[in-house]
Amino acid sequence: MGATREKKDQEWIARSQLKISSRWGRFFVYSALSFNTIMILLPLFWLLITSLKSQQDLAQNIWGLPKQVVWSNYVVAWVGGKIGIYFFNSVLATASNIFFSVIASVTIAYALSRFHFKLKRFLYYLVIAGMMIPIHAAVIPLYITAMKLKMMNNLIYLGIIYAAFRIPVSVFILESFMVTIPKELEECAIIDGASYYSIFFRIILPLSADGIITITILSALASWNELLLAMLMLSRPFIKTLPLGLMGFITEWTTEYTILCAGLLIACIPNVLFYAFMKEKIVRGMTVGAIKG
Amino acid sequence: MIEKRGRNIAIAVFLLPGLIYYSFFVLSPVVQGLVLSMYRWVSLERRVFVGFDNYLSVFRDRIFWQSVRASLLFMIITTFFQVIFGFLFGYFLYLQPKFERTFKTIFFIPVVLNTVAVGFIWGYIYSPAFGLLKPAMEALGLGHYYVPPLAQPSTALLAVIVAHIWQAFGIQIMLFNAGFMNMPPEVIEMASIDGAAGFTMIRYMIIPLSWEISKTVIILQIIGALRAFDLVYVMTGGGPNHATELLPLNMFVYAFENFNFGNGSVVATIIFVLCMTFTLGLRRMMRREVLQY
Repeated sequence: MGATREKKDQEWIARSQLKISSRWGRFFVYSALSFNTIMILLPLFWLLITSLKSQQDLAQNIWGLPKQVVWSNYVVAWVGGKIGIYFFNSVLATASNIFFSVIASVTIAYALSRFHFKLKRFLYYLVIAGMMIPIHAAVIPLYITAMKLKMMNNLIYLGIIYAAFRIPVSVFILESFMVTIPKELEECAIIDGASYYSIFFRIILPLSADGIITITILSALASWNELLLAMLMLSRPFIKTLPLGLMGFITEWTTEYTILCAGLLIACIPNVLFYAFMKEKIVRGMTVGAIKG
Repeated sequence: MIEKRGRNIAIAVFLLPGLIYYSFFVLSPVVQGLVLSMYRWVSLERRVFVGFDNYLSVFRDRIFWQSVRASLLFMIITTFFQVIFGFLFGYFLYLQPKFERTFKTIFFIPVVLNTVAVGFIWGYIYSPAFGLLKPAMEALGLGHYYVPPLAQPSTALLAVIVAHIWQAFGIQIMLFNAGFMNMPPEVIEMASIDGAAGFTMIRYMIIPLSWEISKTVIILQIIGALRAFDLVYVMTGGGPNHATELLPLNMFVYAFENFNFGNGSVVATIIFVLCMTFTLGLRRMMRREVLQY
């Protein structure tokens, strides 16, 4: 366990051979890095202190720390913003997205990476080409179809659509994991009389666990933050996902900045926690496809 | 013989469900969009074939051309900034500064935050009443130049671009950084021993060696910019006076605010064609002989 942990750490900060040699170079690099850090943290820190002020306090001092810490903003935001409901809805849509996208991508990737057949390359590129298709190019037909199928305001169906748009990138990532699995493992299993299905479940799935985790994380992030499709598909107040609910929350509390900031911070907590625990995997997942080229 | 049949059945079992699913939700809507762009809706149930009339009506619309201009500007400015600075910051992190891990962690935070929340934070920063921008400009002695950026057509697009860069910058940094980590360390070390450093190193070693990743980053960035919707929608809704109405917003207004699905589909088709053209065009333009190392 300790060894794998160490290996991951090494990947995260893989050593390069270069060091900054000159003093001016070092000064320049550290200034740039620090400046960017401040630019990122300042707005977030400011959001935090605003969320702890009273409305009068905010009107008088925009920059400063709160005179008195007002935790009640969070209570008001949680109750008044219905954030709990939106949160649950987002979890449902995301779970549906993960379920369908993982099943579809894993099976497609298995067929495309472990078998040889006619049209294989064509099908691979057909699936991968989907990465270039913006969801906006499809949104009007998707809307009409959902209406015809009476699937409006259905979070599971929304997740199913998200999942379909995750297939290209997920297959792309998984395929690159699966082609590296040694052919001999499969051949041995076939000699032992295993079927393709048991090979899939017993050998391929366990050995591509890392890839599956990666595509799960990326899918979850994508659907958790999606706004456009959710806005079109969901209209009932209690069916909204978190981004959509936040939009309503912002218009509803438009003048009460302190409460707004508290609500937005609550809404960001899942993202931040998720990031804190999955940092390496998220970053690696987002870069792995690009490096493969 | 039976062996072969079993194999073909297995391929079909693994491949077909996923492919059908993918075709139904991703490929077919794109084709349907093409078809829909040639119809005019009389009512939700009845539509008439009108050939290229919708295209002519969109091309005669002044606001559409403004959207094209805004989208291209958005694309050029964000790409220019994010590619150059993403490259530099990715390189700085590659030079193993102290606190490398902390810097990386912080730089990536905005990427995982909820876009609606990010849009609000920046709207809040720009706001004349409680925002950070006004006091910041006053502190620098530029107070009398302050105008509420989101309320002015001349500044709104730039204000949105800044917010977009703030959120997406971390991805480019990480992509470049991961690409640099993939360069063969021996080659870099040799060059370093031969006395290459600073800009010489970047110009003659890093850029050629990381050409593939640069290509990918630029393409991803351009597609991302052409798709940008959520953040802009939250911050300005396309206003003031259509100044920030990027193509996806233009499509949204046509289709879901004016309920003109025909014209909306025309814009959706144009977004799709632009994405394809830029991706394939750039791939061709940036094709270089792959460096052998």
